[in-house]
Amino acid sequence: MSIAAFAARRLGRGVLTVWFAVTVTFLLLRLLPGDPALAVSSPTQTEATRALLLTQYGLDKPLVEQYLLYLAQLLQGNLGTSFTQSVPVLDVLLVRLPWTVLLTFSALVLTVLVGVPLGVLAASRRGGFLDKAVQVFGVTGQSLFVPSIGVLLLFVAGLELRWAPIGGAYSEGTYGGQWYLSVLHHLVLPCLSLTLVQLGSYVLTLRATLVDALADDYVVLARANGLSERRILWKHALRNALLPATTLIGLQLGFLVGGAVLTETVFAYPGVGRGIYEAVTQLDFPVLQGAFLMLALTVVLANTVTDLVYGWLDPRVKAS
Amino acid sequence: MAGLERPARRAVIVGGLGGLSAAAIAACAPSAPEEPAGGEEGASSAGTETLTIATTTDVVNFNPVVGNSRSDQWVTGLMYPRLLTIAGDGTKEAELATEWGYVDPTTGYYEIRGDFAWSDGTPLTAGDVAWTLNAVKRDAPSGTFYGQLAEFVQATAVSDTRVEFTMTAPNSSLVDEIGFWGCVVPRHVFEPAGSIADFANDGSGGGWVSAGPYVLTAVQAGQSYTLERVAKYPLVEGGVPVAAKVVYRVFPDVNTEILALRSGEADVIANALPPAQVEQLRGTDGLAVQEATGLGYAHMVYNMDNPDLAKTEVRQALARAADYEAIRQVALSGQAVSTGSSPLMPVLARYHDPSITEYPFDPDASRALLQRAGYTADADGMFGLSFRLIYSLQDSVTSQWAQMVKDSSAQAGIEIRLQGSERNTYLAQTNDGDYDVYAGNFAIMDDPVLNFSLSYLPGGAINYTNVDDPALNELIAQGARATDLDEKVAVFREAAKLVHEQVYDNIMYTQNLFFAHSDEWSGFISRPSELLSIINPVSVASATKSAS
Repeated sequence: MSIAAFAARRLGRGVLTVWFAVTVTFLLLRLLPGDPALAVSSPTQTEATRALLLTQYGLDKPLVEQYLLYLAQLLQGNLGTSFTQSVPVLDVLLVRLPWTVLLTFSALVLTVLVGVPLGVLAASRRGGFLDKAVQVFGVTGQSLFVPSIGVLLLFVAGLELRWAPIGGAYSEGTYGGQWYLSVLHHLVLPCLSLTLVQLGSYVLTLRATLVDALADDYVVLARANGLSERRILWKHALRNALLPATTLIGLQLGFLVGGAVLTETVFAYPGVGRGIYEAVTQLDFPVLQGAFLMLALTVVLANTVTDLVYGWLDPRVKAS
Repeated sequence: MAGLERPARRAVIVGGLGGLSAAAIAACAPSAPEEPAGGEEGASSAGTETLTIATTTDVVNFNPVVGNSRSDQWVTGLMYPRLLTIAGDGTKEAELATEWGYVDPTTGYYEIRGDFAWSDGTPLTAGDVAWTLNAVKRDAPSGTFYGQLAEFVQATAVSDTRVEFTMTAPNSSLVDEIGFWGCVVPRHVFEPAGSIADFANDGSGGGWVSAGPYVLTAVQAGQSYTLERVAKYPLVEGGVPVAAKVVYRVFPDVNTEILALRSGEADVIANALPPAQVEQLRGTDGLAVQEATGLGYAHMVYNMDNPDLAKTEVRQALARAADYEAIRQVALSGQAVSTGSSPLMPVLARYHDPSITEYPFDPDASRALLQRAGYTADADGMFGLSFRLIYSLQDSVTSQWAQMVKDSSAQAGIEIRLQGSERNTYLAQTNDGDYDVYAGNFAIMDDPVLNFSLSYLPGGAINYTNVDDPALNELIAQGARATDLDEKVAVFREAAKLVHEQVYDNIMYTQNLFFAHSDEWSGFISRPSELLSIINPVSVASATKSAS
């Protein structure tokens, strides 16, 4: 299959996935108990005011009509207007998106930067103390829950040690270079939380595949040819072991995005995740639909990129 | 990328992603502020400090007649003045208005200060007040303000400092309630935007305009709201707010707010402290705890659409099956006062009737009442009565005492099934009347006319009992018409007695509210309720940081 056909097929599958996500989100939101008029209004509002609000939100129309209108709107690139904020959904999301991108991207990079050496270390010392320690760390990491680790970090590093701020993305009143430093400083704890909860599975996967790779014939041959253990490990075995780990990164992006919702909430980090939390409490359907669409697009895009990168890393995939 | 070697390709991809992210974040980078405009030179009391206030929610809507959340009210409250404020006993006091009352039984008036101006230099006049009232009535925004205008007809600015408005029927509380719940917005900003209900007021048209002590200058949704001092605010001593900036910082919950206060990242917590935290924070070095009078109440309401609960004896039996003192001591750590089971709480000193006393916790009396109503206990002492009590899981105090009510009701032979739900489900259940017993609370129940009308008249928005008692209806109507205060008090005491006897409502307590701040800051002026507390506009404008 040509690369163009491969990409077109992936794209088609991606569009279908996004449509499915959009439809499920649309329906799920309308299955939620309560209604947006109740969520945003004063308890002393009358039934007439509530009905007026529902009409204004377009929620008085039959479900099918609402859905078709929403799809038509989406096709025109219009995500709608926030019920509660009276501003376009795109504006609401774009203000927050860079922070989520920064957080998830940092966590992803940190996971790879820390995960690869740890995985290699464990595999190359299979059965040894370091290997066991990495495995214990990996299993523990997998069982961590973002809010638990977040609150712990906040208390220890934020309050007791005063190493990092309690919340937010930057300090008020900082500008220029100071502002960038402040952004990095505020990023430490959320990024660490998110990295810690996903690092375990990455390290364990990499370790397992690397252990397998190190037992393959080509490694034996490389050893027989007198290649150094370091070169065999890093240049040959790791290259092959990275394939499943790359797939995992793609899959983990979905998890990362989900984790970002919790992380941003715990650390009051002003990303899309925190916005979703607020929108859920206010039943702001357009913002939630827009946010989930954006997240679905991100995950689909990441998986498509992973597929393409996979082909790039392993020529056999491209050939097949 | 066919021409690139693999390492180079990787570098391009990683660099590209990193670059995109950095560019997006760089777009968020704030620019250094310009030098402040003139006008503050003469302000000797003006400081350079920033007061950071912690809140748990974002500002949802910057339009003060739409926004309903606490943060909405707190932030916009620093920009859009109210005509009246409230004293510790629930009576209204002057804020923008200097005088208020009635021209005749169906015409109210406000005389306002002449020294207020919007931050863009436009004077604040009675024209702004009249326009705001008429626009809210016309466009029906979802905020609390519109709910006060049911009997309002039209306002007219009869001079630059006097507004008069007409109403559909005599109502002795309307002037007070509109004055307190309403705010004034700048006509020259809001009118061109069309419907006041749809205007986002998000500053996209060149920033915000304020007539309060501070004006919003920067927003980072999800993180912070920065307000800067205006040149002149007549309600504060010296005419200029003390702190140069006020920053509202968003934290996920009150526990994180406390961490931030202790670490010095916040100076004040806007939310009332959970009862269990008050004593601990009182004893923490560097922190101070200040009290604000509670103006609301927590209550249980029995749905009279249920045939059993429609019987007075059953409601009376339930009312005697809860240990209110234990609830106040355990769930509220003693930080609540009994209302005497009356909707006229002690805090409403002029109205409160000490002859109405709290329902005693007496399971034997409950049993006797049920037997008198024709119910018979089984071998286990249960009367076969089972009621579903709903409450919000977000309300930790109610969640705690709901369990206590369940246990104590069992002693009286009544089964209570608890159903805690997340807030939106709870609101939907409440709206649909989907409960036997409703447990909840109201933050501000300051005016008997309004509160009794909403709570006990048929069709009232918060008539959760579904009561329709002609005698009570007549008393409420009579009280609304009464212009003589003594007569009004007497009528509402009579109405409260009826509510108490018939258990149309079971008012359990008024919670005392406590607020924490850094002891480096002083000069706060406490007002009743969580809405105003120590972060009301005058208090925030008066807060001073001690020289360290």
